[in-house]
Amino acid sequence: MIRSALVSLVVTAILLVLVVGIVLVPIAMRLPDPLAVLDMFVFGPFRNPRHAGNIVEMATPAMLCGLAVAIMFRAGMFNLGVEGAFFLGGLATVATVLVVPLPAFAMAPVGLLVGAVVGSSICAVPGYLKARYEASELVSSLMLNFAALFVGLFIVNYFLRDPAAGAMVSYKIPVDARLPRLVAGTRIHLGTVVAVAACLVGAVYLFMTRGGYESRIVGLNPSFAAHLGLPIRWITLRAQLIGGLIAAGAGGIEMLGLYQRFSWQSLPGNGWTGVVAAILARDNPILIIPAALFLSYLQVGGDLIARNFDVPSEAVGLIQALVLLVVTSSAIMRNPRLMRLVQGRGGAARPAEPKAVERSPA
Amino acid sequence: MTTPPVVAFAGVSKTYGNGTLALDGVSFEIASGVIHAICGENGAGKSSLMKILFGLEQPSAGAVMIDGEAVVIASPRIAAAKGIGMVHQHFSLVPSLTVTENIVLGQEPRRGALIDRAAARQRVIALAERYNLHVDPDVAVRTLSVAAQQKVEILKALSRDVRVLILDEPTAVLTPPETDELFERLRDLRAAGLTILFISHKLREVRALASHVTVLRAGRLAGDAPLSAIGDDAIARLVMGQAARPEPKRGDRQAGAATVTLEGVSLAARDAADRLSGIDLAIHAGEILGVAGVDGSGQRGLVSLLTGRLQPSSGAIGYHGEPVAGLGTAALRRRGLAHLPADRFHDGGSKRMSLIENAMAGAHRLAAFSAGPFLKRQAMEARTAAMIDEYNVRAPGPRAPLSALSGGNAQKLIAAREFATEPRFLIADQPTRGIDVAAAAFLHERLSELAGRGCAILLITADLDELLALSDRIVVLHAGRIVARMENGPGLTPERLGPAMLGLEAAA
Repeated sequence: MIRSALVSLVVTAILLVLVVGIVLVPIAMRLPDPLAVLDMFVFGPFRNPRHAGNIVEMATPAMLCGLAVAIMFRAGMFNLGVEGAFFLGGLATVATVLVVPLPAFAMAPVGLLVGAVVGSSICAVPGYLKARYEASELVSSLMLNFAALFVGLFIVNYFLRDPAAGAMVSYKIPVDARLPRLVAGTRIHLGTVVAVAACLVGAVYLFMTRGGYESRIVGLNPSFAAHLGLPIRWITLRAQLIGGLIAAGAGGIEMLGLYQRFSWQSLPGNGWTGVVAAILARDNPILIIPAALFLSYLQVGGDLIARNFDVPSEAVGLIQALVLLVVTSSAIMRNPRLMRLVQGRGGAARPAEPKAVERSPA
Repeated sequence: MTTPPVVAFAGVSKTYGNGTLALDGVSFEIASGVIHAICGENGAGKSSLMKILFGLEQPSAGAVMIDGEAVVIASPRIAAAKGIGMVHQHFSLVPSLTVTENIVLGQEPRRGALIDRAAARQRVIALAERYNLHVDPDVAVRTLSVAAQQKVEILKALSRDVRVLILDEPTAVLTPPETDELFERLRDLRAAGLTILFISHKLREVRALASHVTVLRAGRLAGDAPLSAIGDDAIARLVMGQAARPEPKRGDRQAGAATVTLEGVSLAARDAADRLSGIDLAIHAGEILGVAGVDGSGQRGLVSLLTGRLQPSSGAIGYHGEPVAGLGTAALRRRGLAHLPADRFHDGGSKRMSLIENAMAGAHRLAAFSAGPFLKRQAMEARTAAMIDEYNVRAPGPRAPLSALSGGNAQKLIAAREFATEPRFLIADQPTRGIDVAAAAFLHERLSELAGRGCAILLITADLDELLALSDRIVVLHAGRIVARMENGPGLTPERLGPAMLGLEAAA
């Protein structure tokens, strides 16, 4: 099954290249040297170790958020609290290392743990409301993201703000709490190793453990799960707790890996990137690694041309929007759970007769 | 001059992408203006052949001829243009649209840019009148019974000026009276000059309706004859490819103590078809208790109660003499419950999961198949392969998805899973509906064996032959009540069950 997922990943990637070309080529044609623009977009990210490092740095939170989303989606839960969990997880991690007196070696682990637990509430609360009251986790998690943002900004402004910094940012994160950098000349940090390892563990969880197996049964066919007598409410809630912990932990890792101070003024968007990565990877944790790297590569290329040429940053945004459309729409064709959500849940079960168009080999 | 056959298949073969040879050099003719039955087990190639005729599939070799001319039917649209219509086993209606909207969908009468609703409605009424297929044109399809939805499907096909109407297992979803009515309508259609292709594996229906039968077996033509020239035994032999269907032996098993008891059980459900009132019932170890009744007489409510999905509004259910109030499915399964659900793909398994994952669900927590949190995947695969072997499931392999199996083979796999727990109480809900004769016979043997080993079995079925062949005792449900209780014996016939099922009399 990993093979068929890989095929669709490749198909989607080819579609993406076409889409990017359609937007980028006309813009490049206006400029004196159109080839240079394309060249920078396609090859620029690899020309210099710092830019190549950027790809990996950006892919790190995308992998973790993608994994969080995949685990929840696999259980049939369309919980979009990853964005809020990522934000709040980052903030709670920074708050912990700033406020709680800890020995140097314990700063990062304790900070990340507290951040993961606090931030996971943004996924856990919609999960609980779903299990207890059958409230749509999609709606409540989307709404809660904004609650997380404004509660977070309030906390930064009133409790963590460094008056000397001249902006609404926290005090500096202690050097001892920061995650070690791994590759000279880049900002690649220990979090990348954690993210890759987490994706591998996630694959083991989903496909090789009892919990993951039960979770997939619930996600693919809740009626079958009920027939077997599986504790559906607990299984779906558990998936959302795990997802929330991973996404919130990712926020903490992002802060301790790359930032000097907590400086997010709005939702950073890494959670959304994670959703795209998970959909692109068909909720397969191992494929999330290349999917996240690919999305980051597009982002870095876009940033480079916006910085170096007279290309409006809106064009880069447009490319990213189209990428989102391609990724999500081609997934909708194949993902029955998404289809169910799009068509209205529990709606009329219509038997899909996949039409196999084959030509005789004569 | 003789008229050429309306449809003829000449050496049609079909090989699917996964290497399955579904049809192998099939040739036969269908005369104009007759009801022509096509018989065969599931997987015999009936559906593939009809898909080729309807343009959903292309033959790998051979040709389809219409009115004596070879044609390429590249799509259902071309099939429709040639006058071929199909009523699928699973309806393709839009539940939220009205009957009229469903029928004219794709060929709406227009007035300017708008749909001429009055004309559409008129057209549907005229069509229904002409073919004596009465349905209210203005109600939403989702509110209709299955039988009425089928009428809409037929009308939809007829509205496209068909000459050849294909009906794929049309009676699988119907109750006996509905089946009779459908047959009347089909005879009317034949009288109106249509050619009807009737796909079925119920010999009684074929005999009642058709004048000619073609039998397919394992993708090959096994027989082709006018029904007047061939006996039921001969058809059964052609279908099965061996001696006629073995009658399951009820043997001399002895009923033991009551395994499951219901005392004054009522269920106040939202849906009237699920409601039960004052059910008193005991299912004993080593007996098969048959439940007869028209669909929607409370069978679904009964199953929901006995599997712990719903709790009774009043009354008590006991397992082995102990009350089980408040216990859910998992707890009841631990007390020996197993269940073959009526809708095997909806409740019985997950189509997109592998056979391993379908077969081992539930058993996966046993020490044999997991160590700590981890699954023993090799042990699971080996056990599934053994199940596939033991239950004679025709499958590409244990890693194939459940969707790759035919209905009969999927049901055998699900039965293998449910029976593997050595249940003490089994609910077999429509265990052989829509599956082929060989698979049904196999499952009947297994059910008898289970009962012989002391399992209490509740058999809910719309197939009266099955009910009478397997049951030790029979109760009849009507409108949520038990209206008749009978010992099964040679004297009990469908004719005696009928009035009670229809609520006409409270039989002794």
